[in-house]
Amino acid sequence: MSSHDVTVLGYAAVVLACVGLQLLSLRPASRIPSFTTLLRRVMRGRPGRVGVITAWAWLGLHFFAR
Amino acid sequence: MTEPRSAASLVRATVATVVHEPVVAIMLVAAFFDGISGNPIHALLLGGVALVLGRDIALGEPNPPVPLTERGDTIPRSWTVLGLSAAFAIVVGAFPRYSWPATAGVVAMSAAAIAVAWRGRLVVRADPGPLPRAGVVAWGTVFVAGALWELEALLLQPSLTADSQQHPTISTLTDPELATHVGRTLIMFGWLAAGWFLMRQ
Repeated sequence: MSSHDVTVLGYAAVVLACVGLQLLSLRPASRIPSFTTLLRRVMRGRPGRVGVITAWAWLGLHFFAR
Repeated sequence: MTEPRSAASLVRATVATVVHEPVVAIMLVAAFFDGISGNPIHALLLGGVALVLGRDIALGEPNPPVPLTERGDTIPRSWTVLGLSAAFAIVVGAFPRYSWPATAGVVAMSAAAIAVAWRGRLVVRADPGPLPRAGVVAWGTVFVAGALWELEALLLQPSLTADSQQHPTISTLTDPELATHVGRTLIMFGWLAAGWFLMRQ
């Protein structure tokens, strides 16, 4: 297995972990919040809200703008 | 009537904010690394928002308590936003990456979204309250692991500005898709749709 494959597998593992946590959050009385619940908690005030939207904006700049 | 704050007390309050408010500190660190990686627009965006947000917190500006819908603002329907996003993605996606039309379009959209976020929530959402520590740790671990994995790939490149196929970053992996109009349109539409989803939280 090449370094390229290992790197890609690492990204896939992170995505799978997110999917796994989201599925776990659907169980009754789960101690894992859903991704949406997490976002609403983080974005309840201005710093979190502006921070999350700035992160999203940075992603667009990273892919398209220079 | 409140006394105007001296420059020194404002600087002290801003430093305390950076220490105690991780969002500001994270954006400043990211701005620094983007700056030394040859991305001045990214660094300006991150650094500018961090400084204004830090000042805002240091001055104790209150969070807007009422969502925009409760203040009489009209929020467009999601289907309208997604339709306009598709049109935007098709038009702007026609231009190569890093061209000035693509840069201008994405910068304008980003600035507008940040300005709206600054004003507060779009719609009424109940605060879920404190979350279980186990859940926060679980999500935090995954996000930090993802960030460290990306950082490791970045640092294993020949330089910060030279891609590596042996240790590809996410943007290196998406380079082939972003080289075509269709790929750019789909990825830009996904970015805009994700932004609308975030704005509605």
